[in-house]
Amino acid sequence: MIHVLNLTKYYGDYPAIQFVSFDVPAGQIVGFLGPNGAGKSTTMRILTGYLTATSGKATIAGLDVFWDSVEVRRRIGYMAENSPLYLEMRISEYLHYRAGIKGLYGAERKKRIGYVLDRCWITDVRRQIIGTLSKGYRQRVALADALLTSPPVLILDEPTAGLDPAQIRSTRGLIRELGQEHTILLSTHILSEVEMTCDSVIIINRGKVAISSSLADLARKAGERARLVAIFDHAVESDAFLNLPGLTEVVPQALPDGALVRLSSPDMVDLAPKVCALAAQKGWRIRELRSERATLEDLFVQITGEV
Amino acid sequence: MRASMSLLRREFSAYFLSPIGYVVFAVFLAVTGHLFSLSLGLLTARGPKGLSYPMQLMVNDVSFWLVYLFIPPLLTMRLFAEERSTGTLEILLTAPLRDGQIVLSKFLACYGFYVLLWLPTLLYLPVLLDWEWWTMQSGIDPWPVVTTYFGLALAGAMFLALGMLVSSLVKTQMVAALVTLFIGLLFILAGLWRPADMDTSGLAYQVLYFFTVPLHFERNFSRGLIDTRNVVLYVSLTLFCLFLTVRSLESRRWR
Repeated sequence: MIHVLNLTKYYGDYPAIQFVSFDVPAGQIVGFLGPNGAGKSTTMRILTGYLTATSGKATIAGLDVFWDSVEVRRRIGYMAENSPLYLEMRISEYLHYRAGIKGLYGAERKKRIGYVLDRCWITDVRRQIIGTLSKGYRQRVALADALLTSPPVLILDEPTAGLDPAQIRSTRGLIRELGQEHTILLSTHILSEVEMTCDSVIIINRGKVAISSSLADLARKAGERARLVAIFDHAVESDAFLNLPGLTEVVPQALPDGALVRLSSPDMVDLAPKVCALAAQKGWRIRELRSERATLEDLFVQITGEV
Repeated sequence: MRASMSLLRREFSAYFLSPIGYVVFAVFLAVTGHLFSLSLGLLTARGPKGLSYPMQLMVNDVSFWLVYLFIPPLLTMRLFAEERSTGTLEILLTAPLRDGQIVLSKFLACYGFYVLLWLPTLLYLPVLLDWEWWTMQSGIDPWPVVTTYFGLALAGAMFLALGMLVSSLVKTQMVAALVTLFIGLLFILAGLWRPADMDTSGLAYQVLYFFTVPLHFERNFSRGLIDTRNVVLYVSLTLFCLFLTVRSLESRRWR
């Protein structure tokens, strides 16, 4: 649905994004992940036609975002960062106006406004002036606006930023539901959000795509780098582990009341019984044995090089 | 087309959602009302006083131009600068509207409010024109009034287009207002003050006359004259500013 090829954007001499390429297949929810200033918003603004790329090409539903900008914008529901709104208007007035400039009129307009008000849980407050609403409600108004024309593509720039935990949870639920009818590209820097809502993830760092893969693949990749953590009640000779077949790495660590050993192996399933057998043979007392998976967060930190 | 109308309606109603619209309206009505009462005094005075033309005092007075100077900046400052500072420009420009549609809708909304400002002054006309209701004819020549309104309509379009252009270039309303005020001053200053001994046939005066709007009203529009030089200046500058505003909006795409 969204194809991006070698997108590059310079602000003066500063490259905001460089040779960014990715694909978002129809019907998927794709998380766009990256540290602040990585170029997420810039990429989204190019896709929505607010900015133009310095070079490269992006198409949405087969239409070029530069040459067919207006047609592309008709097919996109965009929720901008920090959800800017006209604060002096009432919610219903605002949505009425937005429906008008998006080409919805008459009975259809009324129907869609009613639908999005309901969908985003703002029917009760529709008479309120937007300026008097809390951040969470404003986010929902912006989302309702994005949904007005039921566009095939939704581009959401940090849809859950600044919400409280309950609101984040309900918004995620909503996004997952919306994912059944829309193709969604959402940016965030909350990692658990991506794990919970998205089908695949694009991690962008310093203007370049670092990883673009499905969450299942990422989980597999993370699994490859899983480790077994064994905690003993007393000090152990870590050299003994080296005799175990297939072990690639042993990292011992002394604890005040015992010892901790991190073991890595390409074959995690077999490792735990072997360690138990070794412990039994040596008469060690195992206090805890658990596997430690690399989380998306580890991956993210590793890629972006931030602590 | 209907999308443009939606935008136009919002922009127009936005004037009534902020205090600035009401303040402009009140001050404008107070000044034109005061000038009307002065005109009435002159028209009914005994002796060799009076007015040569019905709208003469209303558009040639210094206090009128002082107030008029502030109207375009106050009406246009919010058009783009406010949207830029609050970030709503992004959601406006990512809606399926062409830049030209946005500029034209905003301009017409602003112009609509300007026209609205002048509507109450139509109430003064029956008196100024010595209107006779039973014959539906004015007691004096009505054309100076028509040309005055014609001039005001075109001059207003020019000032508003200038203001909108400035608003599309800057980030804050305050800066937009001040810059527009300064540019407006260039067109109005010589009407408020110029050397008393100025030679009206000299080159300096000719140049001043070319772009000083109050002089156009004093010499032409309020007397029932239409000088095409003035009309060409207003219309061409309006269109040029609208064109530049579209380009200025577009500039985000090639900057």
